[in-house]
Amino acid sequence: MLMHRRLSLGVRVVLALATTVLAGFPVYWMFDTATTPSDALYRGDQSWLPDLTRAGNVFSVLASDTPFLRWLGNSAVIAFGTTLLSLAIAVMAAYALSRYKFHGKGLLGFGLFATQMLPEALLLVPLYSLFAILGLLNGLGGLILVNTSFAMPVAVWILKSAMDGVPYEIEESARVDGCSPFAILQMIMLPIVMPSLAAAAVIAFFDGWNEYLFATTFIEDRELWAASTGLASFVGEFSTPLDTVFSAALLFTLPAIVFFLLMQRRIVSGLTAGSVKG
Amino acid sequence: MPVIHFNGISKRFGDNVVIREFEAEVPDQEFLVLLGPSGCGKSTMLRMIAGLTDITSGELRLDGELVNEKTPKQRNVAFVFQSYALYPHMSVRANIAFPLVMDRFRWWHHIPFVNGFVKRAIMRDPQVAAKVAEVAEMLELTDYLDRRPRALSGGQRQRVAVARALVREPSIYLLDEPLSNLDAKLRTQMRAEISALYQRVGKSFVYVTHDQVEAMTMGTKIIVLNGGVVQQYGTPKEIYDRPANTFVARFIGSPAMNLIPAEAAAGTVRVESGGALELPASDPDRAPQDGALTLGVRAEKVRIRPASEGGPGLEGHVTMVEHLGAETIVGFKFGPAAASGEVGAAASRDLHYARIPGDVVFDFNEPCRIELDLTGASWFDPESGERITGAPVPA
Repeated sequence: MLMHRRLSLGVRVVLALATTVLAGFPVYWMFDTATTPSDALYRGDQSWLPDLTRAGNVFSVLASDTPFLRWLGNSAVIAFGTTLLSLAIAVMAAYALSRYKFHGKGLLGFGLFATQMLPEALLLVPLYSLFAILGLLNGLGGLILVNTSFAMPVAVWILKSAMDGVPYEIEESARVDGCSPFAILQMIMLPIVMPSLAAAAVIAFFDGWNEYLFATTFIEDRELWAASTGLASFVGEFSTPLDTVFSAALLFTLPAIVFFLLMQRRIVSGLTAGSVKG
Repeated sequence: MPVIHFNGISKRFGDNVVIREFEAEVPDQEFLVLLGPSGCGKSTMLRMIAGLTDITSGELRLDGELVNEKTPKQRNVAFVFQSYALYPHMSVRANIAFPLVMDRFRWWHHIPFVNGFVKRAIMRDPQVAAKVAEVAEMLELTDYLDRRPRALSGGQRQRVAVARALVREPSIYLLDEPLSNLDAKLRTQMRAEISALYQRVGKSFVYVTHDQVEAMTMGTKIIVLNGGVVQQYGTPKEIYDRPANTFVARFIGSPAMNLIPAEAAAGTVRVESGGALELPASDPDRAPQDGALTLGVRAEKVRIRPASEGGPGLEGHVTMVEHLGAETIVGFKFGPAAASGEVGAAASRDLHYARIPGDVVFDFNEPCRIELDLTGASWFDPESGERITGAPVPA
């Protein structure tokens, strides 16, 4: 029994290490590449260990003549805007889908699913012409709307599933205690489904942060570029400064990692335990 | 002053009628128990009182005021759910204080970030804090105020649910099978605690249960429901001693009332085994009309002894003995024992019970003599099952 337990612990440690290496290696390799001179990279002379004396090179992109910091700021506006708008709509939509009966409920649920089946490239041209008519091109607001339309249905489904698991009695109890439907949603439902809300926030944030296709097509003004577009712009026709590209890529990754780590604390399970008799 | 007035209340879910023309008037400060088997509509009735389920037709009045369209809060009721329904993300303190917090909540308190701040500020309010502390002390929850519900035992969670109901001082307490999830020992303890609470707060309680022991021990009034129809409304004693029909007779009492087919003619009653029974002279319900009847006798009114001891009595045989320590429940059937043993449904058909003080030993299938004390016996119409009262005694 003890032997079995030790073996099981060993297997778990090995699996955890393997997962950590798999997840962390790309970031490590970006750092390693960013600290290697560009000519060494083109020679294929990259060391497995980063040159720490060149660690400051990670920030070299900020000193370049590109407004990379501004692009990061634009991406942050798009990502946070997408997250807030997606969640604001998704929370109410998920609550309605989970708790209310209305005509067309099944169709609406399926419709939200169906939006995920269409490839982005297919929607690019129709959305471009629509945004041109509405005057939403070349602005961060338009990108927030586009990204929300992709992130929100996923958030709705995640939150709906979580809300389906909240016992009705808890809501009824809140009604007896004097809560309005909005108060129930705000003070009872949302704190209980917080893990799923955090998960949906992470997905929506990454959707907004990483999005490239629409950001590149809809924004012409260089000052309004998202960081993803700016990152791609480093790839030149005649030369690509690989170390700068990777330094930019590393800086582009860091805010997303920080956001995820902040949200991760909220993604805990078993919050409803003890509320009703299981 | 009547506090709860049910005026022809009905509830339908589609074609399914759950409550049919419910009529009752419950005076103030009663402990009313809605009792009935599963699916009889008692929880639906309670939810209609609370305002959690719409009333299809009829009027519900609280203190004379029509409340059909009012919200639970406007009705000033508190509800204790069978499943506790505690808020899992709040501490015990916040759970108990929640109704008071909501009482003081204004629309602008819902603004994000303001919300959490205001909630904490209200909970720190001396009046609210004192009330929470008082209720927590009353229910012995003081040591657990900072815990989350998941860190509590079943009994403690139930107490938190009761505390949350108590804190707002509502006019009516509604309790939906609050003890059914607890083990037998805790149930007995909580039963006593809820009864004591009722005495202390002096408000109206409406309590739903399918457990007749809870109904008999806690209620001051009982409504027995079956299939959404009121079978009887009365005090526990009335319902136990004078059941309105055979359903109530069978449902109330453990073991159930013995229902024995009988035939009355010229002042004599004969039961199926052929024995004639003597009717007591001074009993208001003593004498049924002539013809077929169902005789209802409680188990404690049945005397049973081995046939070997001799003496008078109806002939029967013992089919079951339950030794409960202080008393013995003896199951018997009239007539001689069947040559081959009975199993399944046949074994419980026409089975009657006697409750005898002390520990008495009987053998299986042992012939016995049965005497029925007909003082206060009940008589029912064998067709309708309704109680027959006040018929004159034939000379």
